[in-house]
Amino acid sequence: MERMIPEKQEKGLDYQRLWLHALAQRHSGETPLKTAPPHPTVTAVVVSFMVANRSGLLSITTSARRLSVAATTNCNSGSSSSTISTCETGGGREYLLMTDEKLMSQCEMDTFKASGPGGQHRNKRESAVRLKHLPTGIIAQAAEDRSQHKNRAAALARLRTLLALKVRNTVDLDTYVPPPELVQILPAKSTMRGSDRGPQIGPNNPKFALGMQALLDLFFSVEGSVSDAAKKLGLSTGALSRLILSDDSLRMAANEFRAAKGLKPLK
Amino acid sequence: MKSSSLTRAVLSTVLQPVFSTRPNPGRTVACSVAPPKPKVPLYQRPPAFRAALSELKKWHVWAKNQAAAVGSTFLDLDDGPDSTLLLRELNWLVEDALEQPSLLSPKNSSSNYDDAAPVSIRACLDDLYKLWKQRIEERRPFQYVVGCEHWRDLILSVEEGVLIPRPETEIIVDLVDDAVRGNEELRNGIWADLGTGSGALAIAVARILGVGSGRVVATDLSPVAVAVASYNVERYNLQNRIAVRLGSWFDPLEDVEGELCGLVSNPPYIPSEDIDGLQAEVSKHEPRLALDGGANGMNDLIHLCNGAASMLKPGGFFAFETNGETQSKCLVDYMDTKMKGSFYSINITPDFAGIQRFVTGYRA
Repeated sequence: MERMIPEKQEKGLDYQRLWLHALAQRHSGETPLKTAPPHPTVTAVVVSFMVANRSGLLSITTSARRLSVAATTNCNSGSSSSTISTCETGGGREYLLMTDEKLMSQCEMDTFKASGPGGQHRNKRESAVRLKHLPTGIIAQAAEDRSQHKNRAAALARLRTLLALKVRNTVDLDTYVPPPELVQILPAKSTMRGSDRGPQIGPNNPKFALGMQALLDLFFSVEGSVSDAAKKLGLSTGALSRLILSDDSLRMAANEFRAAKGLKPLK
Repeated sequence: MKSSSLTRAVLSTVLQPVFSTRPNPGRTVACSVAPPKPKVPLYQRPPAFRAALSELKKWHVWAKNQAAAVGSTFLDLDDGPDSTLLLRELNWLVEDALEQPSLLSPKNSSSNYDDAAPVSIRACLDDLYKLWKQRIEERRPFQYVVGCEHWRDLILSVEEGVLIPRPETEIIVDLVDDAVRGNEELRNGIWADLGTGSGALAIAVARILGVGSGRVVATDLSPVAVAVASYNVERYNLQNRIAVRLGSWFDPLEDVEGELCGLVSNPPYIPSEDIDGLQAEVSKHEPRLALDGGANGMNDLIHLCNGAASMLKPGGFFAFETNGETQSKCLVDYMDTKMKGSFYSINITPDFAGIQRFVTGYRA
């Protein structure tokens, strides 16, 4: 089994891990702390995930810059898909529909910094934040802002994108009708677009993630065939292809899946 | 005597603004002790200087090389910043110093912006060289270099003589938020932030209390801190809800004894003998007054604990930051034994790195 080791750990910086349900502690009163070894190994992370989610698929991102190419490890037999099925996680769409507060309550939050006592001891610019979404094991982090507060918000936004990319909902192809959030990201020429749909939503819109998730749900259920997916969306193959290529993370997720199916990447 | 009676009069006007005839009571306090004038943070200065883009790029390349040359030297020496961190700080310096920071971003390297065109900056080019030299060669903290720290959703002015607020301390504000949500009466009373430094906690707490009748009194022994905290309070237009007072711990609060609804503090808690071994940014540049907690680091925490019992009203909330598990446990033990019956619901809360950092509770 191949595992991606977080770079920082290799360089001797350890993630000071806090098994703290950051907001859940405040809003549900549940016991916040699960004690973890002070210098946990990556293996420990993997093990704890495997216990937590027996669907057996794991996603660890290793740095803020590489978020869009989340490294994945497949613990399942047979399939080489890098996504998390929803059968045991309760539905990926629900995660994206959650408020920030609710989504945060499903996360453990770490700050990671050089080992040491912190507080007044340190001039600490490392206000980086790392969120682990417990139901899926997906990790998102943000480090580039100066305040922990803002990094937390950025990490949460990234988590939403990763959930869209990594958590699949099952699709019934026989009765398939694209959901409204997917129709919103389709170009105007789609025959699925009614007149009341408003303008096409692009990757910079926060609602794009939901549409992207629905598009990938369909894309996976047609085994990565652009032409089959395009038919279901009332688009030409070229138009759908352009839509997929318009967003880097969407393109990479689609091509990763196509590669696993032995298909050529979209360019 | 004169100053004491003046400050007391001012405090009462701040706490009962309806009777106040002074236009700006918070400021009066700071002025009454002829305070040092706080420096304006770099990002707030007017972009009054010009340099050719090519000259700025030259500076940027030089600064990046300086940062890269550090490698892990500081990290190995005293747990200081490595190149990665310094390069990130350099980006933030560019953000603060340039009117259009994107001109130096790699994405724009191929843009058609003329290299000879003048670019607006908030410090002259020479000063940019000096500032980055100070950061690397003297290990001057980045926050002093740019004159501010981003903390929670605030941008606070800081300078030499004032402790740079730490990310850990942000959690105290959440603890206060929880306390006032649990008992809305606390929201409308008098709160104190002792050893306020930059005023970070006082400002954040005042914003949590909201626009009701809640007020915050912030004290500090350092005139520089009082001046900087007052400056920050005015920046956030909270001078009618926060009074900044010069004096040691509870000394400036005699007239509200037993009336405080809440008390927060991040007092000095580092054991004296540990201070010289801290990273140079802290040990060589930050005020010892704000760091040194005496032989075991507990001197001020114990003092605060004793004072809390008489200064808080029954049901009043307190939150203190400590050095970690040992001090937190020691403080709780002290409250349970030496001050038995004075407090209830005493609790230890960890920071986001899992260190048992905060002690909270209520006056019995």
